[in-house]
Amino acid sequence: MAENKYITLISAEGHEFVVLREAALVSPTIKGMLRGPFVEAQTGRCRFEEIPSPVLEKVVEYFHYWYRYRDKEDVPDMEIPVEMCLELLQAADFFNLDAMQTHRNTL
Amino acid sequence: MSRQNRQQRRIVGPQSALTDFLASHNISANQIRLDAEARRRAAQIDDQQGDANTHSNGQSSAASPAASPAVDASPAQTTRARRSAGTSRREEEARKKEQKAIDKIKASKKFQKRKRGLADSEDEDDLARLLMQRSAPLPGQMENCELCGTRFTVTPYTRNGPNGGLLCNPCGKELAKDDAAAKKKVKRASGGAVGNRRQVQSKILDGTYSLGAKSLMTLCIETLAKNIDLAEDLGDLPPQIIDKIARKLSKHRLLNPTTLSLFLQPTAEEVCVYDGAKLGSDDFIRIFQTVPGLKKLKIRNGIHFRDEVLDYLISRHIRLEEFYIHGANLLSESKWKEFLQHKGDSLRSLCVYWTDKHFGNEVLSLLQTTCPSLTRLKVCHNQQVTDVGVAALGNLKSLRHLSLDLRNEIHPDVYVDLLSKIGANLETLSLARVHGADNTVLDAIHRHCRSLAKLRITDSEEMTDAGFVRLFKDWANPGLVFADLQKCRQLDSAHPRENPDGIGLCSGGFRALMEHSGKTLKHLNVHGCRHIEAAAFEEVFAPGKVYDAMTKLEISFCEEVTDFVVGSIFRSCPNLRELNVFGCMKVKDVRVPRGKILVGVPNAKGMVIEGDDDGEE
Repeated sequence: MAENKYITLISAEGHEFVVLREAALVSPTIKGMLRGPFVEAQTGRCRFEEIPSPVLEKVVEYFHYWYRYRDKEDVPDMEIPVEMCLELLQAADFFNLDAMQTHRNTL
Repeated sequence: MSRQNRQQRRIVGPQSALTDFLASHNISANQIRLDAEARRRAAQIDDQQGDANTHSNGQSSAASPAASPAVDASPAQTTRARRSAGTSRREEEARKKEQKAIDKIKASKKFQKRKRGLADSEDEDDLARLLMQRSAPLPGQMENCELCGTRFTVTPYTRNGPNGGLLCNPCGKELAKDDAAAKKKVKRASGGAVGNRRQVQSKILDGTYSLGAKSLMTLCIETLAKNIDLAEDLGDLPPQIIDKIARKLSKHRLLNPTTLSLFLQPTAEEVCVYDGAKLGSDDFIRIFQTVPGLKKLKIRNGIHFRDEVLDYLISRHIRLEEFYIHGANLLSESKWKEFLQHKGDSLRSLCVYWTDKHFGNEVLSLLQTTCPSLTRLKVCHNQQVTDVGVAALGNLKSLRHLSLDLRNEIHPDVYVDLLSKIGANLETLSLARVHGADNTVLDAIHRHCRSLAKLRITDSEEMTDAGFVRLFKDWANPGLVFADLQKCRQLDSAHPRENPDGIGLCSGGFRALMEHSGKTLKHLNVHGCRHIEAAAFEEVFAPGKVYDAMTKLEISFCEEVTDFVVGSIFRSCPNLRELNVFGCMKVKDVRVPRGKILVGVPNAKGMVIEGDDDGEE
């Protein structure tokens, strides 16, 4: 089955974010959703009812940031808005974007 | 000289202030007047000529004053020259110059755009001239400021206005101020090349180095730690995240009475204070006040964890299961005893670090009666415990993990006795800095231990290679996961290279260790075991031998290690992450596979090589 190069993430408010599949696979959570007998795996659309748009937007930004720098040294830090920090932290936990894990998965 | 004299001799009438000023800038008012007259005259002549010739050829008005000021910096000279010699060389030059400028403009894009609709070349020339007039004056000429209209001299530093014109100095400065504010924001703060390199080295030594971007969680936690004073409440984050935040804060020494409150949630069961140096006794008491269901307490640098804190704990219903305390030197021995008598029955893990004088034999002897369910005991950096206390541990039948790092010399017989009593169930045995421990201890481990996963024996000066061979050969214990035998070596400053008695972990012991545990070992430390020969390394890491589990290997100060050995290690341990080779002077130039870290190479490349070769396989 030919997989689409992009997948769609949908926020609580219904905003849709189109992401490079390979970049979004950093998240074990999304990987799990796309690798199973789930609707998400067939349609390539993942709905996140509990994540508001601004947070999901930032997460998507991170996906691409990660993808861009996946094998680089001296990576500049991504800017995290202070006011969004805690919410983003929760989202990071939800998406399982934990320390080191991301790197190992790609090796 | 002579010119000066002439000037002095000249008789000068009254002058206006402006003339004086201009003269001081080497501008002659008289010259300006003459130039203006000359220009006017030239214009008249041109007009007459223009009427006569009609303007059939574009060159006739070449030196017309309307066009020339923009190109020619010295119109006065041109006109004067014309007056004296009609078509002099200068005029020719000026004409050529202007023609060049016109050609240039004709070739420009702007001109091509405007040209559309114009058919003949005459119109083109006119248009070109028009454009030339509108182009900005060159440095040294005068111009009106685009914003305020003031007349000023154009310099190379004159700024462009918003509409393409030029600005006078004050207006330009004003504009620059706005621009500078915007520019500064864009500029990123970085530590510079040296700062970055230092950061990378520091991360490698911390073991937190990795290729690629940081995880989103790390980024968030770092941001949070930077702005922790803005946080009022961490909300309902999962405990493991809160723990990470706590670690990060402590690393930056940011944990103080105010930030401590963020981590004290009434529903929590675990509180970890990774750096309690800034906390007072009251703050520690507050932990017990706000977290009534506390089960696991970990405090590092708990200097002010005093008697009154334990008093308070004893008076509460809190039943600690895990207690980890580091640096609490102000706790008295009697209070320790009281604590164990009241709260010991629930304790499963007790770790006591850096308590010099007040955690001694009597406290250890009490553990048997007060802590029936103790499985983990660590007593490190302790100056008080002696043979009696260690012997008393033999009664703790429930013990699974034992770590001792004592300052007093303990007789090997005490260890042998201890292992015969509790060795069978031990999963962790760590005996750090046991200078006097000898082969009898190794034999006791061989005889009694059946479930060890982690073994540490360091700094022994008595154990011999034969002893290690006996330990690992046909040992009924499953393979070790963690082995640390660092600095088990012969110490004789008079004959450092000779080792006739085979003291320490040498070739035979190393071979036996890898034979027994090679398949399971994740972490091996043979730091300073100087008498392991190159042949032993080559045999252990020979082609065809693969150690899949190995992730960290420390072979610093093993003198026989060569480039070949290091290469063999990388081949035999495919999952190796880090290899330490400090003081291995025979390591010169190794190719490191990608993603692996070689630390401590003694060359000018620095102490770390992060591989970028894709490997030889």
